Amino acid sequence: MFDKLTDLITNYVEVKKEDIRPESRFMEDLGFSSFDFMSMLGEIEDELDVEVNPEEAANIRTVQEAVEYLEKISE
Amino acid sequence: MHSTIRELLAAAAQDFGAQDAFRYKVKGSGDGGKKEVRIEAKTYTQLKEDSECFSAVLAALGQKGKHVAIVGPTSYSWVVAYFGTADSGSVVVPLDANLPDADLCELIDRADVTTLVYDEAKAGVAQMAAQRCTKLEHILCMSEPHGIAKEQSMWELIGGQGAGFDYVPQPDQLATIMFTSGTTGKSKGVMLTHRNLAENATCLDMGLESGIVILSVLPIHHAYCLSMDILKGISIGAVICINDSLLRVAKNIKLFEPNMILMVPLMIETLAKKLEEAAWIPAPLVRAKVFGKQFHTVCSGGAYLNPAYLEMFQKYGITIWQGYGMTECSPVISTNYGDFMKDGSVGKLMPNCEAKVVDEEIWVKGSSVMQGYYNMPQETAETLADGWLKTGDLGYVDEDGYLFLTGRKKNLIITPNGENVSPEEIENKLGENRLVQEVLVRESEGVIEAEIFPDCEYAGKKKIKDIQGELQKIIDAYNQGAPLYKRVFRLKVRDTEFEKNTTKKIKRF
Repeated sequence: MFDKLTDLITNYVEVKKEDIRPESRFMEDLGFSSFDFMSMLGEIEDELDVEVNPEEAANIRTVQEAVEYLEKISE
Repeated sequence: MHSTIRELLAAAAQDFGAQDAFRYKVKGSGDGGKKEVRIEAKTYTQLKEDSECFSAVLAALGQKGKHVAIVGPTSYSWVVAYFGTADSGSVVVPLDANLPDADLCELIDRADVTTLVYDEAKAGVAQMAAQRCTKLEHILCMSEPHGIAKEQSMWELIGGQGAGFDYVPQPDQLATIMFTSGTTGKSKGVMLTHRNLAENATCLDMGLESGIVILSVLPIHHAYCLSMDILKGISIGAVICINDSLLRVAKNIKLFEPNMILMVPLMIETLAKKLEEAAWIPAPLVRAKVFGKQFHTVCSGGAYLNPAYLEMFQKYGITIWQGYGMTECSPVISTNYGDFMKDGSVGKLMPNCEAKVVDEEIWVKGSSVMQGYYNMPQETAETLADGWLKTGDLGYVDEDGYLFLTGRKKNLIITPNGENVSPEEIENKLGENRLVQEVLVRESEGVIEAEIFPDCEYAGKKKIKDIQGELQKIIDAYNQGAPLYKRVFRLKVRDTEFEKNTTKKIKRF
């Protein structure tokens, strides 16, 4: 999941895949805006065939938290 | 021009009857039980009939003339409840679905609401309101009931009603109480009549053709969305497509293929980056990729938009119509549109609106100005003077009737030597630099201070290591051209976005 997510992240912001760490924060460290972040989650929905709950998604701050959330909903 | 919401809907049903009024996604199961998304549509005739049935439901429940709150994301049911309430002679109270449940209960009490209509996603507030809000008599659920006290299913009740509802609301009858999402102070309930709303939506022919496809992405309780997407959209015979979440704007643009979207500046700024990122491919292809080739217009309102975006979107064949308004004026006061555009202006005054300038502040008068704030006589007296609405915005009207804004009166910084400085003017100047993602200018300990949230992605791209130093250079460059009293003396850099209210405006205090 981490691998899949980092691929997607590099489509949205200018970071190298190897520079993305589990503890990286989307907005502060990776340079996401709130609207970028929402758009990326929308793309993940299609890719994993899952449904993201916008309220729960709003609490995600780090890559690790996103991985955990996505693993939970794709079970 | 129509003077009641009922007239507006009735005329639309007559003119556009079998045409789609709304399109939205529904989830279902396809072949083999696989999850599938379908588009469902409702025609203008259906909208009118369902709304009339809802009016009849309210009458049967003894709620005619009472206050009905609606809470939930944009949906067909939401719109049916809205028209059904207003057209029955009751008062509709749209609530902000993003507020915490306890705050919503407080607004329900303050607006003397006796019926609450809620979307499944807001079952929590219905549960809490059933216990806390003692004036509540009925709770109507847009989907299956949740076993809450006083609760019934809205659609079951509608199904039990015959078509038609005979009531003619008067133009000067109260139609709605809308709570302002102000960035400072306690939110106020703006009282608007049928005339206020209907004339705001229909007094100006913007040259939009019937059948135009609009994607509605802003929160529906917001005056700008309700008036422009819904009321104006319906009055011109638009096809209004419902965006189910901000998560899915890009996906829904591909699905619904809109011609026009109403946005707030924050969204325009993000989309501008998307356009720029693909700037190496020919402009028509970029537009097709991001918006679809059928897309042509963005309406912008709710906050200041840097005029540079107008020019940039124009390169891709997309026109931005910048407008200006406030809930207290139902809400549109002025807008750029069609051939009536002026750089740096928020557009021509609406035909039902006149303006004057008192001590640099814009005052407006006309058939869309509110009746006052609900149960707040003091605040009403401070805002309305002899039919004039004090907008709190500073600016001027030019000889051609175009309005220009220069700042917000309550944000004005009064310097120790009595000079007035509008923080927005400085924020807009500093914000022109790409490294500045968000900026707030204020007075602190007697000097002007700028707090900046830098665009780290941009800094990365441009290999800027010393962000603080680079930002200071931007401020130095600004200071050089600014009079002494408008200079920024202190820079603060933050590593998180500013906190915003639900309409995405930065909270100032």
